[in-house]
Amino acid sequence: MRRRKMSVLFALYDDFDKARDVVADLKILDMKELVVEDIELYSPIEHPEVEEILGDISPPIQRFTFFGAITGAICAFLLVAAAAQSMFTVQPQGGKPVIPLPTDLVVTYEGTILFGVWITLLGFLIYSGMPRRRLKKFYSHKVSEDQIGVEVLMKPDNVEKVRETLLSSGALEIREV
Amino acid sequence: MDSTTNMKDIEWARINKDVLGSLETPRITFWIVLAVCSVLVLCGVAAEVYQYNHGLGVALMDRPHFWQLYISNFIFWIGMSHSGTLLSAVLLLTKADWRKPIYRFAEAMTLFSILTAAFFPVIHLGRVWNLYWVLPYPDERGIWPNFRSPLLWDASAIFTYATSSALFLYIGMIPDLAICRDNARGWRKPLYTLMSLGWMGRAREWIAFRKTYVLMGCFLVPLAVSVHSIVASDFAMSIVPDWHITSFPPYFVAGALYSGCAAIITLFVMLRYIFKFEAYMTIDILEKVAKLTFAIAMVWNYLNLSEYASIWYSNDMYEHEVLIQKFIGPYWPVVWGMLLCSTVAPFAMAFKKFRQNLWGMFFLSLVIQLGMWLERFQIVSPSLASNHEPWTWAVVWPGLIQLTITAASFGWFTMLFLIFCKVFPSVSMYEVKELVFHHRRVSARNEIEDLNKEKDDMIRAQEGLA
Amino acid sequence: MGFGRMLENWAAFRKDDYYDNEPYMWGMAIDLNKCIGCGACVTACYAENNLPVVGKYHYSQGYAMHWMRIERYWDEPDGHADIDISQKPETPMYAHEGTPQEDTVSFPERGAHYIPMLCQQCNHAPCEPVCPVAATYHTPDGLNAQVYNRCIGSRYCGNNCPYKVRYFNFLDFWKENYDGAPLPHPLELQLNPDLSVRSKGVMEKCTFCVQRQRDAKNAAETAGHPNYVEDMSFMTACQQTCPTRAIVFGNMKNPKAEVSKLWASHQVELGRVLQDKTEDVRGYRVLEDLNVEPCIMYMDRVRNIEA
Repeated sequence: MRRRKMSVLFALYDDFDKARDVVADLKILDMKELVVEDIELYSPIEHPEVEEILGDISPPIQRFTFFGAITGAICAFLLVAAAAQSMFTVQPQGGKPVIPLPTDLVVTYEGTILFGVWITLLGFLIYSGMPRRRLKKFYSHKVSEDQIGVEVLMKPDNVEKVRETLLSSGALEIREV
Repeated sequence: MDSTTNMKDIEWARINKDVLGSLETPRITFWIVLAVCSVLVLCGVAAEVYQYNHGLGVALMDRPHFWQLYISNFIFWIGMSHSGTLLSAVLLLTKADWRKPIYRFAEAMTLFSILTAAFFPVIHLGRVWNLYWVLPYPDERGIWPNFRSPLLWDASAIFTYATSSALFLYIGMIPDLAICRDNARGWRKPLYTLMSLGWMGRAREWIAFRKTYVLMGCFLVPLAVSVHSIVASDFAMSIVPDWHITSFPPYFVAGALYSGCAAIITLFVMLRYIFKFEAYMTIDILEKVAKLTFAIAMVWNYLNLSEYASIWYSNDMYEHEVLIQKFIGPYWPVVWGMLLCSTVAPFAMAFKKFRQNLWGMFFLSLVIQLGMWLERFQIVSPSLASNHEPWTWAVVWPGLIQLTITAASFGWFTMLFLIFCKVFPSVSMYEVKELVFHHRRVSARNEIEDLNKEKDDMIRAQEGLA
Repeated sequence: MGFGRMLENWAAFRKDDYYDNEPYMWGMAIDLNKCIGCGACVTACYAENNLPVVGKYHYSQGYAMHWMRIERYWDEPDGHADIDISQKPETPMYAHEGTPQEDTVSFPERGAHYIPMLCQQCNHAPCEPVCPVAATYHTPDGLNAQVYNRCIGSRYCGNNCPYKVRYFNFLDFWKENYDGAPLPHPLELQLNPDLSVRSKGVMEKCTFCVQRQRDAKNAAETAGHPNYVEDMSFMTACQQTCPTRAIVFGNMKNPKAEVSKLWASHQVELGRVLQDKTEDVRGYRVLEDLNVEPCIMYMDRVRNIEA
């Protein structure tokens, strides 16, 4: 199945207020005329207010963390317990039991944190879509400096309407792909 | 001029320019310092090769001093690594904004301290070539490492800490690496392109990023506490008098935070001077770090003095002997030196004028670090010198080999840090932008409030007249 | 490793007394009344166990490798030392500060205590759980075993030994005297072929002459009684050489063994931190309040201070 070719418009703005206005305008436009497929914000820092307008896309990374930590705890404990079993003949040491819980707790704790960190990282990479091999064609260096970019995905027929909306909020530059 | 006024006036583009400017081709001083550090490292390598070939006897350790400078250096460097974790992770979770311009180099310091510390458990072994036996892998003898030993917990803790700190530093650096990638030329561009993983500042990337960062911070705080507690267990779980103390884990953690904060002050002053980061690393922030250091100094002092008090009132003859010998015995210069540098000296930070004096704080931070190094040494040697068996009491001072390797470790750390400062941004650009943005909003809101107040006053005045 | 075997091991291990069913528990009793501090036991140990003679300089540095050592302490009957220290530049409190001890001290005629100190083979050995690679453990015989092959030389066990009877090969002592070369012929014939010569970086300590134990057990097995070695059928090197027969070694599980009788008559028991005994009985264990359960009992010296 071939996807309909989408056009992309990318506009740069001076500050977050303008960006917030334009995203709100686009949302209104979309509600009235259904022209916009997707909006994405590009910014040098995070801005929770604009992101709220974009829609709630809170990634469930904490689930990765939770399962990673549990896995780590289990794996670390099994490692220690199994190792103790396999070298049973050297277990008599200072009168200690085969699976001494206080010492095993320490290694289990470290295992929890190790796996928790690694799997959280995995969650991050999955939800942020990184690593990317190539940056988007319209990506501007100004985004990493001090300007805010708004990317709009739409069908080619609606390009002019969207362009008008973008310009109305004072875009410094508009790129089309 | 307070920092709020300054902060809100900084242009974001200027932040980029200033920090990227620090990555320019270094001046001649850089190369000289790097050369000196390399020489130190080479001397250390030579000393280690000599020791590897001839045995640990050349380090002049002997029975009962089975451990000496290598272990105390190990603890010192692991301790210094806690500063970065404290600053990035703890202050992140407590939402302390003033950490933003300074946490990057603190985290780098954490990573390099761990990389320096990692050498010491290796070189202090009698048979270094069999080091890999501490790793849990299935071998043909069916024997695994002994997980009851605190040294093994050390191995797992240090491994976890090293990887987690490295990841934390790296993840936090990704938006900055994107900035570097956008402005780089030559050999730097492919490096930054690879390392920034295609970061474009999209909203979904930022949201995932912020969440991950906070989650990793949540892990890093208990990890840092546990790592140094485990290192402390090397001593606390033993039977040696004055090592077998339950307050050792928190004592070590407090000492680690203390020496780490002092190291942050040292690097703060140096980076601010060398790279001219006055706008970001303000005196205000220095004062806050000084206050934090002072607070931790008091915690550490309390734990230290309570340790002495507990031993004194314990009526245990072995522990008494070691305690008395610490103060009047052969190692008294180390102990009194430590008390002078780490207990008396930090009271200078009680004075605001001193806290705001750059070079005063720099000097004090070096004194504190010396005091904490002496503290690690006076933990190891006096207890072994006055152990349970009086026949074996002996005084041993570290030999040339041990001192050379100690100096080499400082050289190695400095070398890594120098290279880091020239390849990666030592101030977190996006966090400083956030700080500026926040200050701007706060001051804008304050202006609006002031204007509203004026309007109200005028209305009231008019009504009064009417 | 089979599940069944695992359960078996656990059942054996978690009994109240792990050593209940074992036929041997090697122990020693040393009578300090009889010990004259001659040092023959030290010499015998050197000969039997391939211990390197490190030389005067290294000895003064503290590198001596004597698994058995004679510790000398002086009496202080009136509260002050009997030693005349006026002629000596330093007090003999801390030994071997880098220079060999000068013999400028005059020692009194009496008041010396000698303690032969060797590995106490503690049943709750503090040195065992702290080895990172499990190079030391407790045998069913009640010995603290040091596995030279596995030792990587972290020396935590040495720190944790309260008696400091663990000796670390800081240098290749056998090669030190010959500039790194092996012993010239025929000097290598002095070595005992029953056990190894340890290289640098390895921890070692007294093993109660485990090579002799092994030979004795082999002989017992050949003779048809594998779990019973007759008392005094073999001796440790130190016991064999002691001129006053101060050292008694044997199997404490054997109630007829000399060492068991001594322990019983001096009312010292394994498994107790504080012994329940009458006032005049001489037997004691060194540093037993640390709960390390040493297997060597010393019998205190009786001194007539009036005469």
